[in-house]
Amino acid sequence: MSATTYTCPYCRIVSDATGTTCPHCGAPTDVRARVTKSGWAEQPPIRDMARIQFNRSTCQISGKYVPVAEMRLDQEDSVYFSHHVLLHSEPSVRLDMMKMAGGWNRMLAGMPLLMMTAAGPGHIAISADHPGETLAVPLPANHAVDVVEHRFLVATGNVGYHWENSGIWFATRNGDDQEYHYPLGQTMDRFSAQGGPGLLLLHAPGNTFIRDLRQGEQILVQPSGLIWKDRSVRMHLHFEYPRGNYWFSSARWQAKSVWLVLQGPGRVAIQSVFEPPEMAGGIVNSSGATTQYW
Amino acid sequence: MDRIECQWCKAQNEPERTSCSTCGAPLDKKNLVSDSGWTEAPRLRDMTEFRFSNSTCQIEGEIVPVAELALAQGDSVFFEHHVMLWKEPGVPLSAMNTGGGARRMIGGMPHILSIAHGPGRIALSKDATGEVVVLPIHPSHEIDVREHAFLAGTHSLNYSFVRIKGLVNVLHGGSGMYMDRFVTGGEQGLLLLHGYGNVFQKTLQQGEKILVEPGGFLYKDSSVQMNTVQQSFKTGMMGHHNMYLAEMVGPGRVGVQSMYVHHGSE
Repeated sequence: MSATTYTCPYCRIVSDATGTTCPHCGAPTDVRARVTKSGWAEQPPIRDMARIQFNRSTCQISGKYVPVAEMRLDQEDSVYFSHHVLLHSEPSVRLDMMKMAGGWNRMLAGMPLLMMTAAGPGHIAISADHPGETLAVPLPANHAVDVVEHRFLVATGNVGYHWENSGIWFATRNGDDQEYHYPLGQTMDRFSAQGGPGLLLLHAPGNTFIRDLRQGEQILVQPSGLIWKDRSVRMHLHFEYPRGNYWFSSARWQAKSVWLVLQGPGRVAIQSVFEPPEMAGGIVNSSGATTQYW
Repeated sequence: MDRIECQWCKAQNEPERTSCSTCGAPLDKKNLVSDSGWTEAPRLRDMTEFRFSNSTCQIEGEIVPVAELALAQGDSVFFEHHVMLWKEPGVPLSAMNTGGGARRMIGGMPHILSIAHGPGRIALSKDATGEVVVLPIHPSHEIDVREHAFLAGTHSLNYSFVRIKGLVNVLHGGSGMYMDRFVTGGEQGLLLLHGYGNVFQKTLQQGEKILVEPGGFLYKDSSVQMNTVQQSFKTGMMGHHNMYLAEMVGPGRVGVQSMYVHHGSE
């Protein structure tokens, strides 16, 4: 940090050094970064009532337990979100539906069918309705990130939204039954800033940790622990089988770990709340994966 | 020396106090108010104690908080019986008949409220994560509360319930068929509510409106009108989507909670 500018260690955007929080992502500027010895940086929670600037509007995060994102929308600005996260709105805010392609596929994948847009002027408040942290991910122009399904809270109008198959799956056989598993969900959301910087707000249960992966660097994570990643980060499954013969190493109770391999370059963010994949039976098929027998 | 006014309940406090003697709000912290005027309900410090009549209430725990009441002789509190966590053996209990039995049964409301009489201690917990909201109710004041949101009321409060008018409001309002109404007579009363997640309050001016997610509504002054409004959106050539929001019209206070069951869309 120079005498007049400050580079936020979390969103990497330069701002003046006048406030106690980063105006682009809300991270506190007056606390020392907490980085583990292995390189994970703990994302500090956004302070109660901290403000984030976007375009001509502001977003204020209030509450600590189930935080609320209250947005003051300028006449020229808009945001979009899943309709069930709307907590309150001033009558002056223009609410409308956003056209979504692939409704049938989204319904099959358990994704919300409807997105809502809100255009200023006025205030609107969004709540994920679950305990956790609100994450602000400012997107530089033409930058894209991939987000695990159901983590999205709200995005500014100039952020493009697409969803794609996650491409991460495996199948297990248990007797005559074959079951397909999608440890990241069937789809992933892709957000890209178009024509200028944008702002993306996500909700993460538990605590959040981020790290930069170098070119070719790999890390194994619990699949459901991933929150978001840079588009440049590649991923595939990794199956690990422990050494030794146990009663549960039969085909029915095959002992194994299912990991998600993240390979740099790029940033990744994980949450401390996750659910290990459920799987009875042996793995008989999968998307591209590596295997380790110890 | 100047006395300190509590920013939450406006009670006057001795200058050496760090929490309000009437509602427990921290006095050494500023009220947190968002840009659009929503005030965050004060997060009560663990073990904060405050008074009502000749009794005291202490709030314990921060994730699933417990209200521990030390009742003086002649004081009492009422509550839904399932919120009782523990009590001293000598604390007498009685029942308050709420009236309207069949209607309350249809509305999913308890028939009978329990009353605990002093002297002695009793502890109440809503058995859910969130925060306790302490609302001292001034004399001759009325407040309406979402059903099942109230934790306890003191003996100086009169309890009744009001039917939510209009079929649309009942079916799509997300607040059920009835709201609890608490009215004070000549003496100040104390109402403890449980809000899921974080709780925010806004004071609406005469005629001022705000749209609220129906599941997020927690309480309002009875002077605030609540109507369910339908928002209809086109979703294609033939389709449309209806969404229902609670329109609050001032004057008066409105309280919302940030964790709720989403209501009102089809």
